[in-house]
Amino acid sequence: MNRQRVLVTGMGADLGSRVASLLEAEPWVGQLVGFDVDPPRRRLRRAEFHLVDIADRDRIVELVTKFNPHVVVHLAVWEPSTRAVPADARRWTEQAATAFLGAAAECRALEAIVHRSGIEVYGRARGAPTRPDESSPLHPTSEYGRTLAMLEQRAASVGRRVGVSVGAVRLASVLGPHVPSPLGRLLRQPIVPFSLLADSPFAVVEDIDAARAIVAAAATRLAEPVNVVAPGAITGLQAALRGRRIPLATIGPEWPLLRRFSNLVGAPVPDHVLELMHRGRLADGARAAELLGIRLTTSTPEVIDRLHAWDSVMRFTPDRSVA
Amino acid sequence: MVHLHSVDGDAPAEVPLADVPLVADTARTIAHRKPQLLSGGSVDDWGRDPQFIAALRPLVRLRWHVSVGGQVHLPPTGAALLVANARRLSLGAVYSSLALAESIGRPVRFVGRPDIAPLGPLMRRLGGLLRNADEVACALRNGEIVLISAASTSHPRHAGWVDPDLIASAVLTNSPVYPVATISMRFGRATRVEIGPMVPRRHRRRGPLAEVELAADVQRRVQKLLEELGGSNTGVGAIDWLREG
Repeated sequence: MNRQRVLVTGMGADLGSRVASLLEAEPWVGQLVGFDVDPPRRRLRRAEFHLVDIADRDRIVELVTKFNPHVVVHLAVWEPSTRAVPADARRWTEQAATAFLGAAAECRALEAIVHRSGIEVYGRARGAPTRPDESSPLHPTSEYGRTLAMLEQRAASVGRRVGVSVGAVRLASVLGPHVPSPLGRLLRQPIVPFSLLADSPFAVVEDIDAARAIVAAAATRLAEPVNVVAPGAITGLQAALRGRRIPLATIGPEWPLLRRFSNLVGAPVPDHVLELMHRGRLADGARAAELLGIRLTTSTPEVIDRLHAWDSVMRFTPDRSVA
Repeated sequence: MVHLHSVDGDAPAEVPLADVPLVADTARTIAHRKPQLLSGGSVDDWGRDPQFIAALRPLVRLRWHVSVGGQVHLPPTGAALLVANARRLSLGAVYSSLALAESIGRPVRFVGRPDIAPLGPLMRRLGGLLRNADEVACALRNGEIVLISAASTSHPRHAGWVDPDLIASAVLTNSPVYPVATISMRFGRATRVEIGPMVPRRHRRRGPLAEVELAADVQRRVQKLLEELGGSNTGVGAIDWLREG
């Protein structure tokens, strides 16, 4: 499978540009083309990038079919309150799924689709498994979870119709120095609210590990869902204490007020993050090693420690002097 | 490694922790002893909190003084399903799992936590899992030791019905099953947890009979262990009844 044509949607975002830079170094990748509504966040050397409007389906279909990819890595997913308000996030994710997956289905060379999903698809209804594995039923209980479940359904349907493998990479909340994450923003506030009665554990994954998992899924032609979760877990109170933040105990009724206040100070709390703080969010990531051949090195407590250690502004030195 | 700061303001030196003189840095020594609960800590993959359990241990010892026997039967690594008898309202699964974990040095997770705050999250931090066959199977697949309870009874030395659906988790994951007898006093601290040898499968079954037969065998083994343990015998029937309930 040498010199494959790989298409990456959502290449402009942090995760997408990380995936693209890892794919550039893969020997099996020939041409690499990416799409997004924003330019890439990091320098890419080999990839060809197209700035597109996801509402402009005709242009997307034209560009994708002309490229005729072997592998589509679909990362055009908007987590609510990251770069878009929840309603826009859902609408844009749906539009992107329709346009990119639909266009990919028209490509004769297409062999595999790998797409981003999240462990939010399992939901946290009462009685839901503490640590769902890939065989657990999907029962999303948040807006983001429902969006991701819709995406999985749509990708699986395309895969069945055109006879290509479809792999869903179900990521825990992705945190990293440049990742716009509502959970990351909340935990970095000087005062961190936590649920006094529950203080449930959750797991996260570092952005570089998430990117490695997606690249491995594309390389191995993943044909089923896989959970990608950093080992270990942490609770809201523990995260606040580890970051030397002031923990604010809450019982429940005050959360709407806290959400409004948090929104005002620049850290909106969408319903899936609220659910995480109350009911926790864990998943069994044991199959990632078997299916993807990778082992996640950074544990959840380490990711949280790094989240608190990351500078608010990072300064990069140029590769070479230009003046 | 620790960083030692000189009083002259020189650059800190990295020294292995073992080489640090005991009296060199009292503040640091105290900082090392600071309870991890206050410095954050973390929980394991299932939400069990070892620091919380350690902090709670003195309180648990106020109520139960548990002696554990038969732990040599348990595998040093890998999954195992333990099935214990349960007397009504005795919290047998909780004290048994805590005592076993301390005894064998591995987390032991008990099944039967509720999924409602604040009791559910509290029991999760003690190692509780939901009473759900998928949850038990997932834990066994991950090489965990899981303790399930037979149906609770009013008599302290009667083993109740064992749920074949939970036993199926062990059958499907090919995990060994061990009987556990627990005896505790209603008005005393003395508590005994005894693990029996692995329960073998008498027949090779491909279908659901495997778990039904294994569940019945396990119940019998637990009952036998309970009978071998004996009960309170002061010579005064009323006192024995009061002690055992």
